Amino acid sequence: MENRDYVKHNCDHYSGHRYAHMNNRKYGSKEVDVCIVGAGAAGSVLACELSRAGLEVVVIEAGPFWNPQSDFASDELAMQKLAWNDTRVVDGRDPLSMGHNNSGRGVGGGTVHFTGVFYRFHESDFRTRSIDGVGEDWPISYQDLEPYYRKIEWDIRVSGPRYFPWGAFHGPYPYPERVPISANAQVFRRGCAALGIRSTVAPLAILSAPFDGRPPCTNRGFCNQGCMPNAKYSALIHHIPRAIGYGAEILSDSMVTRVLTDKSGERVTGVEFVHDGQTYRQEARLIIISAFAVETPRLLLNSATSRHPGGLANSSGLVGKYIMPHTGHDIYARFDDEIRFYKGTPVLAVSQEFYETDPQRGFARGYTFNAHGSRPVSMAKTLASGAGIWGKQLREIMIDFNFYARVTLVGEVLPAPDNMVTLSEEKDEYGLPRALVNFSYGENDNKMIGHGVAMANEILRAAGGRPAFVVPDTAHLHGGCRMGSDPQKSVVNRFCQSHDIPNLYICDASVFVTSGGANPTETVMAIAARTADHLIDSMNKGRPQREPVSTAGYSS
Amino acid sequence: MTGKKTDTAAGRYPGYDVLERMDEWDSHTREIVRERLGPFPNRRILTEREWAYLSIIAGHLVYDNRADIIEWIVSHCDRKLADETGEGERKKGVPPEKFLIREGLKAMDHAAQLSYGSEFGALDINQQFQMLADLQMGKAAHIPQWSMVPQKALFNKLVSEMVSAYYSHPTIWSEIGYGGPMYPQIYVRIEEGLTEPWEAGANGK
Ligand SMILES: Cc1cc2nc3c(=O)[nH]c(=O)nc-3n(C[C@H](O)[C@H](O)[C@H](O)COP(=O)(O)OP(=O)(O)OC[C@H]3O[C@@H](n4cnc5c(N)ncnc54)[C@H](O)[C@@H]3O)c2cc1C
Ligand code: SF4
Repeated sequence: MENRDYVKHNCDHYSGHRYAHMNNRKYGSKEVDVCIVGAGAAGSVLACELSRAGLEVVVIEAGPFWNPQSDFASDELAMQKLAWNDTRVVDGRDPLSMGHNNSGRGVGGGTVHFTGVFYRFHESDFRTRSIDGVGEDWPISYQDLEPYYRKIEWDIRVSGPRYFPWGAFHGPYPYPERVPISANAQVFRRGCAALGIRSTVAPLAILSAPFDGRPPCTNRGFCNQGCMPNAKYSALIHHIPRAIGYGAEILSDSMVTRVLTDKSGERVTGVEFVHDGQTYRQEARLIIISAFAVETPRLLLNSATSRHPGGLANSSGLVGKYIMPHTGHDIYARFDDEIRFYKGTPVLAVSQEFYETDPQRGFARGYTFNAHGSRPVSMAKTLASGAGIWGKQLREIMIDFNFYARVTLVGEVLPAPDNMVTLSEEKDEYGLPRALVNFSYGENDNKMIGHGVAMANEILRAAGGRPAFVVPDTAHLHGGCRMGSDPQKSVVNRFCQSHDIPNLYICDASVFVTSGGANPTETVMAIAARTADHLIDSMNKGRPQREPVSTAGYSS
Repeated sequence: MTGKKTDTAAGRYPGYDVLERMDEWDSHTREIVRERLGPFPNRRILTEREWAYLSIIAGHLVYDNRADIIEWIVSHCDRKLADETGEGERKKGVPPEKFLIREGLKAMDHAAQLSYGSEFGALDINQQFQMLADLQMGKAAHIPQWSMVPQKALFNKLVSEMVSAYYSHPTIWSEIGYGGPMYPQIYVRIEEGLTEPWEAGANGK
């Protein structure tokens, strides 16, 4: 999976310097304070905060350092390149669709092609075992994350409704809600209103007014293809440039293949990575793995040594276990008038009316509805591969492309130990075993899906649509290195420090204990910001911070 | 292929051509979309016979028989197989896509022989459709090859790639009234009933 784009990318980046080779490294021969694997949502926040505090940081990212103007395009097919396309072997009753649907590759990680819907989790999400007798409690509470949710929202100027009716946080958001909303969002809100279901404009990591030299959203609707005007937040255009400004060094097109330990196996000492066929090393006092829910467990398992035969940080045997996607079922209805759901930011209206457990429904936990626009390739492809529709029937449906509205069901999937990432027999181009990702929905999940699909159809019907089809799908991924207080039942502690190796941290979506019933990235980033604070305290370098850290009105 | 597929081909928006606004697109997007209009690069990895078979299959799966569009689809498949960028995911027990498609096409000939007494390429259109429908259900004539190249996986691989390419063709965008690429231009009319002056006319008018 070496980058074969015709656009030449540099691979070494630090303040004032960019190189297409590894010969002018800033920290090449040095043991740095922190080495971060993966420049995605979590890794980039960590890089920004830690370097701002004066720590020496190297980030190593498998994919390219994109240039939105020359690398992105208004095109679905071509922009599949933003995904982690390297093959994962999938299994189980409901094998996951990975690639573009699931994970990004390149500086910015999944945030480069994510949809930008930006939620806090609810208080109950952290205590599902205590409250509902399902899943597991987190070792942290909503209150522990609250300051970091607020910080992230301010740092990137999240836009959202004046009043958000659900959960512990009711707004206001730093930036005003988006106006106007798209026809697809209007239809959804109308259907909700008719049924007495509350809905709001979506909270979004997308600008509703200028910020930091970036314009507000132009409604082109290509968020999943990378935002060309830079209206949508991504770590590529926000946290990484800042990290570079604060002194971090970013290596791109560099795949970390192994985490190295000392002889005793008690500390990690650095990582091995491959760039352009060459193997290099980076030494560090502390290593943070932020490679997302598949590659993080895979890297830990692939780094096994005689002292850690089951893989690093895996004395519990839980590395790779309890992975959870969200349900991602798409519910379509046909309308008599055009909707044109290709226009506007894909998600502009939402409802969390069914988020919390309601014993009368016969299942635990709940879900979010996102009114969710689509484009021709994504609609036709998922109809073909997910709903088995092709030939004349598909052609006839797609002729009516402009007449469909769509709602996506983002539902909580309960953790189950058999849903896991392990290593397959097959090797990739680096000679490393490919990830084997096993997933099956459980009984509670399927009941929830049934409820959500029926409710979405009711909403669309109430808006004047005729329910047309449901495409089963999944979205997002969490878990695989769950956090907890008990080293036998979890991989990292409440600060994302591995129980087994004190200078090895794991910080990304893989530390989630439960999946919550809403898009996860604000929680990923809040956890990363909290881990950064903890590390700045505990590494105690005694160097001056480059910028005062206040708790209100963050300006970066 | 015969008279099918013409009734829908005009679409709802007969006067609308998304390419008319091509000059407004950013240059990277323009280059990407222009390549879909041909001429197409030489075959990279497919044999002549494989190319011909994929052309037949593409025509059936997307329900269209316009040669230029089918050529784009197969050319896309050829490039995808040659590039080896990775498949995103592959079900356990399913071989890598190049093997799946190569051996799958051969297996289709064997199964066609068993069911109809001739190769897939020589079947009539209805028989070819039926074979594809059987593959989708995993019900094609029983031959040992299917244990190496699972029928459903073969069908799914073909249909996902071909449908993705088809709905990336600007002619199809025009027919379904899709606005197409959109940068640096912006939308201001996104609410119900509103269209930009350059978009396909409301409800096909
Ligand atoms: C299509 C799509 C839409 C989405 N929409 C939303 C949304 O609307 N709202 C929301 O909240 N979330 C959304 N998400 C989810 C969001 O993208 C993820 O939750 C988030 O990116 C996870 O952050 P992370 O830091 O855990 O991993 P990532 O952001 O995926 O970052 C991991 C990084 O590590 C790199 N990496 C992996 N292995 C290695 C290695 N061995 N060496 C070096 N680098 C490596 C990867 O290339 C990647 O850049 C969406 C995701 C997708 C795919
Ligand atoms: S809809 Fe807005 S945020 Fe999304 S890609 Fe377009 S301009 Fe960017």
